[in-house]
Amino acid sequence: MKNRNSDLIRRGRRREDLKAWLIMLPGILLMTFFVWEPLLESIRMSLYKTENVELVKFIGLKNFISVMGKSNFTQALTNTFAYTFWSLLIGFVLPILLAMLVGETVRGKGFFRTAAYLPNMLPGLAVIILWSAFFSGEKSGVLNILLAKLGVPTQTYLTRANLVIPIIITIATWKGAGATALIYMAGMASVNPELYEAAAIDGASVWQRVVHILLPSIKKLAGTLLILQIISVFQIMYEPMVLTKGGPDNASLSLMQLMWQYAFGGSMDYGKASAVAVIVTAILLVMTAVYSYFNNKESDWD
Amino acid sequence: MKKIIRALALILALSLALSLLAGCGGQSQSAEPAPTKAPEMSEELESELNAFSDEVIDPDLTCTITLGNWPADTAPASELAVFEGYKATMAKQYPNVTLVPDYYSYTLSNYVPMAKGGTAPSIFQPPFTDPQLLISQGLVGDVTDALAACGALEKFSPSYVEMLADENGRIYGLPRDGYVLGMHLNVALFREAGLVTEDGLPMIPTTLQELAEYGQIIREKTGKAGLVFPASETYGGWLFTNIAWNFGCVGDSALEYQDETGRWVCNFTSPEAIAAMEYMRDLRWKYDILNADATTTDWAGSHSLLGTGEAAMNFAADDSVDQPTANKGLPLEDFALVPFPAGPAGRYALAGGTCYMFSPDITPDQATALMAYLRILGKLPFLDDDIIAGMRADYAAKRDRGAPVLPAISAWNDEEYNAAKQAIIDEYCNVDMRLYNDFFDSISEGTITLRAEEPVFAQQLYRELTAVIQRVITRENADIYKAMNEAQESFQEYLDDEINNA
Amino acid sequence: MSKLPRTGVIRDYDMHSLSVRIGYGVIYGLCLVMTVFALFPLLWVVLAGFKDLKEFVSSTSLLPRSFDLAPFAKTWSQLGLGKNYLNSLISVIGSVVCALIFNGLLGYGIAILRPKGCGVIKRLVLLSLLVPATISIVPLFMNIQRLKLGNSFLPLWLSYGANAMYVVLFIQFFESLPYSMIEASRIDGCSPLQTFFHIVLPLSKPICAVVSIFAINAAWSDFLLPYLVLRGGELQTVMVRLFVFSTEQTVNADTMMRSVVFSMIPPIILFVIFQKQLTENAASAGIKG
Repeated sequence: MKNRNSDLIRRGRRREDLKAWLIMLPGILLMTFFVWEPLLESIRMSLYKTENVELVKFIGLKNFISVMGKSNFTQALTNTFAYTFWSLLIGFVLPILLAMLVGETVRGKGFFRTAAYLPNMLPGLAVIILWSAFFSGEKSGVLNILLAKLGVPTQTYLTRANLVIPIIITIATWKGAGATALIYMAGMASVNPELYEAAAIDGASVWQRVVHILLPSIKKLAGTLLILQIISVFQIMYEPMVLTKGGPDNASLSLMQLMWQYAFGGSMDYGKASAVAVIVTAILLVMTAVYSYFNNKESDWD
Repeated sequence: MKKIIRALALILALSLALSLLAGCGGQSQSAEPAPTKAPEMSEELESELNAFSDEVIDPDLTCTITLGNWPADTAPASELAVFEGYKATMAKQYPNVTLVPDYYSYTLSNYVPMAKGGTAPSIFQPPFTDPQLLISQGLVGDVTDALAACGALEKFSPSYVEMLADENGRIYGLPRDGYVLGMHLNVALFREAGLVTEDGLPMIPTTLQELAEYGQIIREKTGKAGLVFPASETYGGWLFTNIAWNFGCVGDSALEYQDETGRWVCNFTSPEAIAAMEYMRDLRWKYDILNADATTTDWAGSHSLLGTGEAAMNFAADDSVDQPTANKGLPLEDFALVPFPAGPAGRYALAGGTCYMFSPDITPDQATALMAYLRILGKLPFLDDDIIAGMRADYAAKRDRGAPVLPAISAWNDEEYNAAKQAIIDEYCNVDMRLYNDFFDSISEGTITLRAEEPVFAQQLYRELTAVIQRVITRENADIYKAMNEAQESFQEYLDDEINNA
Repeated sequence: MSKLPRTGVIRDYDMHSLSVRIGYGVIYGLCLVMTVFALFPLLWVVLAGFKDLKEFVSSTSLLPRSFDLAPFAKTWSQLGLGKNYLNSLISVIGSVVCALIFNGLLGYGIAILRPKGCGVIKRLVLLSLLVPATISIVPLFMNIQRLKLGNSFLPLWLSYGANAMYVVLFIQFFESLPYSMIEASRIDGCSPLQTFFHIVLPLSKPICAVVSIFAINAAWSDFLLPYLVLRGGELQTVMVRLFVFSTEQTVNADTMMRSVVFSMIPPIILFVIFQKQLTENAASAGIKG
């Protein structure tokens, strides 16, 4: 009797499981087709000599050796870390500051929030094309027009090797910082204002309240956003592609752009392109692993 | 394959010169004032379009062809109208052939996945550098039988048979037209800087040294850039090769060559190549005549700057004269096309061209229809009413939109055909030929030597050299030898990977 | 006008101090600076759209010579952008539908149904968050070509049904739903699918709104995969056209700026309509993701 019951339950459970899998099946199939299979395929392709889209010959790690041996790889790798560095320098603290500023306002808060978020809605490609006119080195470049009003002579921007990466990051920050700031504002909103009130009555200065109440409230969030930001900056590609084409002298060439060059830049070397892709993925995975090690918090996912 | 490419590069250069000799006889002085851009089709153009034959030629031919050579929908209305005219004629002559316009801007990299995926247009237009690669990869369709059937096969010059055929002599493409690199001038800026002769014509820089000096005068007198140099991606290297030739990077000092063992070797560190790169440095740091953002300026950007009067000179070819003029608004009387300036070691001009090729999936019926279509376009070497009408329509459209109608550098090797074409061009000429004569004379009189692109992996070579140019013009004290040596090592490695050890 | 409550660090109490009051003024000043920074480029690109090529390349004035709308009309009709707008609209609608249904169902399975072994899928989804989509664009494009799906919206729509971030957003939201209601519906004899449509979805309007807005914006802005799939054909979207312009150099710089303006109008309209949801919900959804 007892046996049969648990048998039924198990069978019922199994049937429900089957139904559940069926419900998930379309999603799983799509994930397989659009994400997982292409990813595995690119790992496989990285180990082959390719001619156009056919895998001609298994060549082990030769693609990796060849790609990594070239000077443009070292340059792209350095650049990509430079992008990350500048992005953290310019783009990490700014949203927190914006969130703190807008969070303090009372009248006009909705307006400031709206203004901050708007650039994030604009198509990234359109944003890059728009900003290219700002950094034009001609007299008609927007920045040059503005500087001329201050009496500064015409400058060039995109021809300066040490300026291009900060410029590209500035544009990316212009687009993204406001939206990130809103996330921080939501995080800061989790602090009950009465807590500040109480601290104020206890004699804590505004600055002390910021340091001891506000900032701790977003610490975990900042960690998460930090790693997300690193992951997204590491994939930077079309921004330099459209703005500087990687120049001058490869000074803004990113790893993903290098991948694009191998695949679509005329040589159609999908094997080497995949090798670059695999390297980028590996670096991202390592960075994430390091992050979660230091974060040392089992997420509630497992 | 590489040998073939090199051999035909020379033949191409020769045949281009020959066809020009044949074609450039008439130096029309009948320069009517250029008509202002007419929004509607001129009456004349309309009558030309109506001149097409309406007779049905083959009612049974039934197929659909997609036309990758259709103008972009951003193209001027008059150009689109011409193609609509071709399409209408085709519909009358071959009522069961469906033509699908499918504007396509060919690049090797975007073509390959399309050909593999079966989405390539039936007809498209690659440059002369690519056919052999496409043929060897099986990415283009065979049109030999259709060509033979319409009688164009025997008019092929041997150089094109080699360029457009596989080892069995099967033909996969047709020449469309050729070009020769020279220099575009903004004559208005020359006038403003006082660089004019007694006849009011611009003083033409005949040497690279003069170019630098004139550029400096223009910079001083007008505040505009003397020379626009599009040093982005591969353009910079492409133009630089021509400068390097004129500094002596040919023969034993060529930028790339095959040694006696058949190994491809690149040589960017010859004294000639270094001198050419030093010239680039001087253009920026000694004479300071380059446009501000040279490293991000592309092909369109260079035409923009010249056409809007922000730069006085631009290395560009005779096939892009419509860019600064009709497209960017430079009046025809302010525009001149002059030969590439000579360097200390000679005067070469890069010559190249474009051909028609076809999707790998075309059926015999489609091939027949495509030949009929090209015949209506006037791209087959036949002289009949339709073709003459087609040419007229083409030139009338050019004139209508304010683009210079110039002697064409025909890619067909057929004297009678070229001469007839020239006669029609003279009729439609809308420019003061004195602004162009030096260019065409230098080719027909042989005072300039035509030379095809570097034979192997030219795009990669250009990319490497562009990077060096970018370094040299953005850092005043860049070590040129070191930069050239790095580029040489990198490109040699590429050559080793791709050919020598492949 | 009633006084709005202060929610920040600075309390009414602090306003007695002069330095805090000055600081408060500085805060407003900085907020205004931020607003100018955020809006000036937008204003500028609209102004630039009024310029012709020569003016755009040469003029050192931020203002155009004339405010004639004709150049915009000309660009619109010359480029035939109406068709591209329609294509973008079709692409966006299909993408949003796919994003909601497929990611929603997958998230529902993982978060609520939890069949045996679904942990693996969950981990795979999470891992996919880390992997840039562009990395595998070459093999993905080949897959699409093999199935002869080129030159059709279908692969683009379906690609939005496979978005790890949306799945994660759904999972997080579903996990916060009261389990008792779902359990009750199951005891009432509803099938899992019925439960999803009758119980879960109606409770999930906020997250559906967030995912929809994200998907609309992403689908509108997307150009790399659409470029490979739709290139040259009749189905090109607005952003594909813009990308083609920027790579193939077929349009002049002034026309380019007007195209940029046209490409920004729909997102801005969307933003104006949904700004409240966006600035409030999207941020709080982001906080969890």
